[in-house]
Amino acid sequence: MARLGVDVGGTFTDLVLHDPLRDTVHTGKLLTTPDDPSRAIIEGTQRILREAGLAPRDLTSIVHGTTLVTNTVIERTGARVGLLTTAGFRDSIEIGREIRYDLYDLFLEAPPTLVPRHLRREIPGRLDASGEELLPLDEIAVAREVTDLVEGGRIEALAIGFLHSYRDARHERRAGEIVRKLYPRLALTLSAEVAPEIREYERTSTACANAYVQPRMRRYLDKLEADLTGIGFTGRLYVMLSGGGIAAVREAKEFPIRLIESGPAAGAMAAAFFARLAGLDRVVSYDMGGTTAKMCLVEDGAPDHKFDFEAGRVRRFVKGSGLPLKVSVVDMIEIGAGGGSIARIEQGSGLMKVGPRSAGAVPGPVCYGRGGTEPCVTDADLLLGRLDPGYFLGGEMALDPDRVRRAFAEGVAEALHLPPVEAALGVQRIVDETMAAATRMHLAEKGRDPRGYTLIAFGGAGPVHAWNLARLLKIGRVLVPLGAGVASALGFLVAPPATDMVRSHVGRLERLDWNVVNGLIAGMAEEGRALLAEAGADPAAIELTPTADMRHVGQGFEIAVPLPSVALGEADLPAIRRAFFDSYRTRFGRVVEDQPIEALSWRLACAAPGQDIRIRAPEGAAQAGDRPVPRGERPVTFEVHGALPCPVYDRYALRPDMSFDGPALVEERESTCVIGPGTRISVDAQLNLLLELG
Amino acid sequence: MAEDEGFDPITLEILWSRLISIADEAAAALLRTAFSTIVRESNDFACVLMDRNGDSISENTGGIASFSCILPKTTKHFLQRFPAEDWRPGDCVVTNDPWLATGHLPDITAVTPIFHRGALVGFAGSIAHSPDVGGSLWSADCREVYEEGVRIPPMRLLREGVRNEALLELFLANVRVPKQVLGDLEAQITANEVCAARLAEFLEDAKLDGLQSLGRALHARADRAMRQAIAALPDGSWSASIEADGFDEHVTTIACTVTVEGERMVIDFAGSSPQVDRGINCVMNYTHAYAVYPVKCALDPFTPRNEGSYRAIEVRAPEGSILNPRFPAPVSARQLTGHLLAGAIYKAMSDVIPRQVIAECGGAPTMRALFSGLDRAGDRFSQVLFASGGMGACPHRDGLPTTAFPTNAGAGSIEAFESVAPLVVWAKQLRPDSGGPGQYRGGLGQEAVIEVRSPGPLRLSLLSDRRDHPAEGLLGGAPGAAAEIVMSDGTRPHPKSRTTIAPGMRLVMRYAGGGGYGPPAERDPAALAADLRDGYVTDPSPYGER
Repeated sequence: MARLGVDVGGTFTDLVLHDPLRDTVHTGKLLTTPDDPSRAIIEGTQRILREAGLAPRDLTSIVHGTTLVTNTVIERTGARVGLLTTAGFRDSIEIGREIRYDLYDLFLEAPPTLVPRHLRREIPGRLDASGEELLPLDEIAVAREVTDLVEGGRIEALAIGFLHSYRDARHERRAGEIVRKLYPRLALTLSAEVAPEIREYERTSTACANAYVQPRMRRYLDKLEADLTGIGFTGRLYVMLSGGGIAAVREAKEFPIRLIESGPAAGAMAAAFFARLAGLDRVVSYDMGGTTAKMCLVEDGAPDHKFDFEAGRVRRFVKGSGLPLKVSVVDMIEIGAGGGSIARIEQGSGLMKVGPRSAGAVPGPVCYGRGGTEPCVTDADLLLGRLDPGYFLGGEMALDPDRVRRAFAEGVAEALHLPPVEAALGVQRIVDETMAAATRMHLAEKGRDPRGYTLIAFGGAGPVHAWNLARLLKIGRVLVPLGAGVASALGFLVAPPATDMVRSHVGRLERLDWNVVNGLIAGMAEEGRALLAEAGADPAAIELTPTADMRHVGQGFEIAVPLPSVALGEADLPAIRRAFFDSYRTRFGRVVEDQPIEALSWRLACAAPGQDIRIRAPEGAAQAGDRPVPRGERPVTFEVHGALPCPVYDRYALRPDMSFDGPALVEERESTCVIGPGTRISVDAQLNLLLELG
Repeated sequence: MAEDEGFDPITLEILWSRLISIADEAAAALLRTAFSTIVRESNDFACVLMDRNGDSISENTGGIASFSCILPKTTKHFLQRFPAEDWRPGDCVVTNDPWLATGHLPDITAVTPIFHRGALVGFAGSIAHSPDVGGSLWSADCREVYEEGVRIPPMRLLREGVRNEALLELFLANVRVPKQVLGDLEAQITANEVCAARLAEFLEDAKLDGLQSLGRALHARADRAMRQAIAALPDGSWSASIEADGFDEHVTTIACTVTVEGERMVIDFAGSSPQVDRGINCVMNYTHAYAVYPVKCALDPFTPRNEGSYRAIEVRAPEGSILNPRFPAPVSARQLTGHLLAGAIYKAMSDVIPRQVIAECGGAPTMRALFSGLDRAGDRFSQVLFASGGMGACPHRDGLPTTAFPTNAGAGSIEAFESVAPLVVWAKQLRPDSGGPGQYRGGLGQEAVIEVRSPGPLRLSLLSDRRDHPAEGLLGGAPGAAAEIVMSDGTRPHPKSRTTIAPGMRLVMRYAGGGGYGPPAERDPAALAADLRDGYVTDPSPYGER
């Protein structure tokens, strides 16, 4: 009856197994095998099953997340794709939004298109914005161009993106039929199927990206299924979608682009799980690793969503430098602030910057002693006493503080006329302020104030920086789950079967044809239920949540507005208007009266309940009032308080109901939780650390 | 550093970043609540945080460079009109006076005072291109500024939170879409309030009473960065001139001399054309902004901008010239002149810093077609087609296709465009062979074909240049293709005119390509072959025998 989560990352493949009979969770980690990722999966699966004393047939399901899709786009190693567009529009994906994403860079680079111009072909045929046919589809041109693309252009996949297909897909569908008849085995993506939303550049870009990753993902998933069957696995294989829902493998093969944020979504789902378990309804999830920090709002036990994403950026953290995708993703911000982020002196201002450049895993920070020479955030943490040079990764890797001190002196401290420890404190202040600023901005855009939220911190560097980040954000409470390095993998086990559907139908509220709208919603419901049934959901338990993207006529940005029901009519207008004004006021602080309102896209979130797993408290719970015994003490330098002696606690020796006061360090294998003065720390039944900042 | 006013360098970095994010947050609020498509698609807005003297402390990251440069100047005019001690919490002062502000009436500047612990500590300012300011809409052919719309002198829109109903009533009675205009004013007020509230929190957190000492430290850092960049250049004086179509017989000449002496630079536009009685005159504020911005891109692109950034640079233009016109010259389409300055400055500096400049841009100035009239439901509409020509080639790379410089206008979706206007766009595609040949090719322009499908005729206002003067190449590079505007009946409308266009007519707009960089004969044969394969180039003859 056990369930397994498998996350294939760029460096590591993480596994997490839950055995509900014994209420145990096992974790595993091994190096990813990039030439054939399923090799590490199979090996890891066999290993973790052995450790748990289970056999492959005991697994009811495996939930899989992978960076294969996102890496294929970043590394440009996808298929040779052809594109059919409406005549006059083959350059839409190259012209893009025409914005310079950096105002002062004269030499900026545009993200290269996924389909070169000679593989983009134009087809006569035109619908207008209301779906009326202005020019019939030239079917002969479709056959001619696709034949030439396959025979002459040697394409492996085809995308079709015609104007206004979000409104009426008949031309795209007909062209698709012609293609399938001629080349039944050719991977084919219709823009109206993968992203039926208005705005041709974004929709076509999504279709091209889907086609680009499809052949590789199909081969990969086919092989993985076969390999799992080969070792005796008889359960169901699911994949993690970017929105945090799980889906059947068939959906992943048809719309692989929906897996673009598969891995990061798991972290947010894990945070949502911890939030539910701890009864927290307003949470900021904070996941800080080696290269990036990711923050995400989790309210009422579920992470926020958004419906666009940028992949394959020319500059990883610069908005507008990538390819736009219309896909449902967990709405998180990702900034270049991780343990490996490098500190440097900027040309011009002469001030210190930290990140976004990262030393990554290789060569890594200076303290790893693997050839890194530029001081990083982890190096600063070491100099400030936050990390124990003898207990990094549980003592597996000895860190070298002298080398770090030299690197700080030469890299930044001398230029700033500061001693190395002061420069290290500067690195910590800057990286924490950067994360605080990004979090503040993200919440402000949603009309939220961080005060009153709880920070849930994980990832290798998360617990190290969480206390100070909370202080900067004026957040009073921090929850640190056990197992910072693997916590996010739990997301695979607790994610619900879920999918987000969308259709565009543009109109002013008072002029909408509600029969059309209801037809769209009913169509989405039918499709969503079918997908969720495949993903193992109980049909009776499926919840449908309709929303619409709305704005005032004349505005260019839409806000998501909850709708009162899945069957709408004239009578619902006042309620819909009220909902619009409520959402508008939350985000922007004021409303504009008397300006007509229009809807652009209609969405339906379909979800079945996930499986919360129980983590059994270990034997020998503490008596109330029991105080933990520190295993040592060392000085830690804090921003406001300077150097303070801090007792060091062994995380694995802590028991539920224990409590103690900061300053303190709590060390576990993958991370160290750093807690400043004026903080009450308690341990809950799930062995979470709960920090209450005074 | 002594100029750091006692702030350690770490604290300075942290506070500076946070001040920038305050301006960014204000900008996000403005962008998302504004009604003006020009604000949105053309990025035609800015938010600036200023100290109590009106000096810029930080500005939003993606804004229009010219606006952020001008806003502090406008604020200083406000301070002359309303002395510092007269401002109260909840005030908001506005103007759209071209000479005091951004050079044409459609841009409205709104400034809100920021108080902390009872004292005036700074100002939050925003500029946004209004959907309408009355008069001739957006056109280039007026004879005086009076025809171009309503001019609001510096006036209080809000006094201690109370709206100036008299001003609003008078102003809104003169515009075609009053609700949207009001909605945008409210968006600007919202943005300013966000900025003010965040600054108050910031001062609390940083335990500061005001911005003055921090401002001086930040100005000194920015000033020093620019001075160092200028000092790295050899001393000397370099001149160049370029030409543009101008208006009818008045060809525009931009003459420019760049002089470097130590760590100072003077940009003098003496010798440029005199002002004309058509709306392409460019007021001094705009001239200054578009002279210093390209210098920063070339010399000091990384330092965040503030009031200190341009202290080392002096800009001169003779009074009465097209770059410093006297009131009441018409100025509505001042971008048709102001956008040209970067090309002239880079041409002058191309011998000194050849690796730091680009060739002239096809998208400078922007080319705009504004359609207005009644749609099929009988509602009034007004739509601008946003599209850009190609950027000039770089010293080591081809120019970007269809990208505006020095402005940063974007383009919207054609599906969205067609869903709100009775227009059908039959093509919006790259223009082969429009990039100026060179060792590095200029960016391609584009071609748009627009058919009128309204029940009745529409008004069409064209704002364009580069019909007779394509973007020049640099250091041996060839010019890009010129702009063209043709009707389906073969007629060519005046490129800066207001006309009527009948249902069924098609308008073909061809946007200019960017200039090339370096001799075409030195182009890498593989790059030329790739251009031929992808159809960016169909005629290889400018590249010589191979």
